[in-house]
Amino acid sequence: MGRVRETIARFIEGEGHKVDATPVDPGTGESELLFRTRGQVFSVTTTENDGGIYSISTAYEIPEWARERGHNAETLERVGADHAGVQFSLAHDGSLFVATLDESAGTPERFTHVFWELVARVREAGTQAIETIVDRTESRTAAEKFINSFMRGEH
Amino acid sequence: MSDLLTAVEQALEDEGLLFTRDDDEDAFRIAFKSEGDRYFVVSYRDDPNFVMLGSGWALPSSVEAEDALDVANLLNVRKKFVKTALWEDERDVLFTIELCVESTEELRPHFGRLLDVLRDTAAEFFEQLRE
Repeated sequence: MGRVRETIARFIEGEGHKVDATPVDPGTGESELLFRTRGQVFSVTTTENDGGIYSISTAYEIPEWARERGHNAETLERVGADHAGVQFSLAHDGSLFVATLDESAGTPERFTHVFWELVARVREAGTQAIETIVDRTESRTAAEKFINSFMRGEH
Repeated sequence: MSDLLTAVEQALEDEGLLFTRDDDEDAFRIAFKSEGDRYFVVSYRDDPNFVMLGSGWALPSSVEAEDALDVANLLNVRKKFVKTALWEDERDVLFTIELCVESTEELRPHFGRLLDVLRDTAAEFFEQLRE
């Protein structure tokens, strides 16, 4: 196992979490570490050739009824603007989205110092995004606006 | 006597957490960490319906015991499940969830929630002390 991957995997295990480490690209030394916290699976990408670059991701399933609404990409963009550094991407035909935070920590040890803070940032952003996606308030407000206008005879 | 905490071990497995056992003639004990913070689960051989989850923290030396007691009291009123108490000459704070169960299997589907509330209560306790 590469030094960077080993350091991060041992750190996460030392913090109490089981880790599943998988080499992704032997050429670049890229690996993926999977662990679970607070009911959510997170993925950490490490690179041996550039031991200072890391990425933390987690995926959220979008409920079926909310997939076809067409503006989930815009919602993710809007929520992403509130969370510096966190990027969202829709995947699997819009059935889920992934929240990702890239970190240039410099060394594996520095990355471990900010690790839980980064996980919390990804989780906070992801939670806000899924809550916004499943919140029907916006559409209800729009409907109420339309009904009120219609009742006043503006249409 | 059967192991009262087997279901808790399974709940920890569900959560992807590592743990250690430290049983003795009086009690079944599990110690584990989550996001680096230490927690424990205890059940007593002579009281198999009782199970306790908890975490203990040292109070920073700058914190006045009276302030900590005030915050603990507020949290005891407001938080579901969790009891917050100062002990060891009021220099430690203990967060515990004490439950009466027929079987610890009953805990398994709720373990994540209980762990969240323990974690959140400790975070709120220290955050309010800083305010």
